[in-house]
Amino acid sequence: MSKPVLVLGGGPAGLSAAHALAGIGRKVLLVDKEDRLGGAPIHSGYAKLVPSGEWAKDAIGAMVDRVTGREPIEVRTSTTVKAFEGAPGAFTVTLADDSRHEVDSAILCTGFTHFDSVNKPEWGFGTFPDVVTTTQVEQMISSGQGVRCPSDGRRPKRVAILLCVGSRDRQIGREWCSKVCCTVSCNLAMEIREELPDCHVYIYYMDIRTYGLHEDAYYWRSQEEFKVKYIKARIAEVTSDGHKLIVKGEDTLVKRPITIPFDLVVHAIGMDPNVDNLLLASIFDVKLEKHGHIERASVYSAMGATSRPGIFVAGAATGPETIDDSIAQGQAAAMAALAQVQGAPVAAE
Amino acid sequence: MPIHEKSLIRPENLHSQENLTIDGVDVSGHWSTFIEPRVVTDYNENLEDEIAALPGGEYIHRCWQCGSCTNACPVNAINPDFNPRFWIYLVRLGMEDELLRDKDIIWQCVSCNKCTYVCPRDVAPEGVMKATAHWLELKGHRPKSPSILFDEVFSEQVFATGKIEEGRIIRDFFKRTGQPLMQDWLVEMVKRLLSGLPLKLMMTMGLATLFRPRTRGWGPARAAIEEYVHEKEAEQRRALGLDGSAGDIE
Repeated sequence: MSKPVLVLGGGPAGLSAAHALAGIGRKVLLVDKEDRLGGAPIHSGYAKLVPSGEWAKDAIGAMVDRVTGREPIEVRTSTTVKAFEGAPGAFTVTLADDSRHEVDSAILCTGFTHFDSVNKPEWGFGTFPDVVTTTQVEQMISSGQGVRCPSDGRRPKRVAILLCVGSRDRQIGREWCSKVCCTVSCNLAMEIREELPDCHVYIYYMDIRTYGLHEDAYYWRSQEEFKVKYIKARIAEVTSDGHKLIVKGEDTLVKRPITIPFDLVVHAIGMDPNVDNLLLASIFDVKLEKHGHIERASVYSAMGATSRPGIFVAGAATGPETIDDSIAQGQAAAMAALAQVQGAPVAAE
Repeated sequence: MPIHEKSLIRPENLHSQENLTIDGVDVSGHWSTFIEPRVVTDYNENLEDEIAALPGGEYIHRCWQCGSCTNACPVNAINPDFNPRFWIYLVRLGMEDELLRDKDIIWQCVSCNKCTYVCPRDVAPEGVMKATAHWLELKGHRPKSPSILFDEVFSEQVFATGKIEEGRIIRDFFKRTGQPLMQDWLVEMVKRLLSGLPLKLMMTMGLATLFRPRTRGWGPARAAIEEYVHEKEAEQRRALGLDGSAGDIE
């Protein structure tokens, strides 16, 4: 029987690639640095996913279940790749425990790292306990605790969600749109309004990018059904009067200054390249694109190819990506890896 | 006025009849309020290019109207009409008449650069404010601001001698801005200087004031600087569609 395919990273893209390969009887070596599979949706404790509305632990959990304990898939958690050498069809991968494995190709599904809001100090994260990130709000919801102010556990009466924190910002070198945060924020705003009907939710935006079919389902619905308030403004700083958070902004559409006291300020944090990307790029000898994500060799002809033949990439490792697109890319990369083993020409180089 | 939107409408566009009855219905006072539609017909499509041609205005085209600048602005906190975001919008759309309504406050920028620090697109709004104020002066909409006059006094002296002498700068600046030389704070400062400074230093300063020493071999540097400044000034005047004759090399 042929050698396995190395799938690095057990998030949506990796789980999808492993499942696709196993489905046609190929062996898979699935490696994850965390102690369990699932990737960001599981480890960051996401609540209900866009666009299905299913809980992350159910939807992604099911993806984990279908690759766990399944014959052709060998799962290695809590480990990393130390070295990777060889040529397509005959690579050798060395894991952190010095075990060596022969594989004939690799799919990098190494995902992203959440933007760390302390890099935007003027917006109060790390200074005021009631300034939180979208990830924290997801956790408040998914844990069943509900949306509360971390300082004293009270139910917020007024919540501000600030978009583009760590995205679309030259000042801090994040010259990309993180793609999902607008839709996620609309979704969270509706969740908050549903749980706390007396709570007013404001979203401060530069542009609303609920692209594709998310427009009516999230943006319009949050306005029309859930009465979420949208303010076109980027606030300058979050301060505090000792009790409430003070957010000063200008409603740019009507040219009026507005200062609103808030109980909870939520940063809609973006997706940074995985902090390990430089290391991964040197271990696997693949190129990174200018923002620091893993570079795709081709947009049209070879799905998921990297700059090195035999190594493929899928999901948010290539740049900000949604869960469903990551899953699609995982399957596409699996297909590309298979085609390459069958001797199909590889477009890379 | 309970309806806040009314405050957004210019008073000259709001009409109401004190006594008016239509078809037997009394609509006196605010019941007959009528808003005249605002029609903008005069656009200066070169306005953005004109501002971009002046130092500081180069990146105005990057703006996407998020309002970070206005929200960070300490002058806006005092005067809500001071709104860099709005002026950038007007300039980009070429709404010159609209911009000119604010000509008497645009120059009030204190150059604290908070806007430039927060701008996610590196528009450098502080530079745009500077360029816009400069534009107003070049176009003759505003007299030269004190800060421009100070810059002129300062640089003229540097061009002439290669040095600066603070006493003379202050004297010339006061003269050009029509201020009296004997100002309480200045008198007080000089008094304290006289009592506190070492004699040798005071003599050096006194001599410098009297004899205006020049940097040795300054002539060629001066000629080069003056040529460059004239060239730039002519360039800017041309970009603004003004007569580019002075020092014009074409």
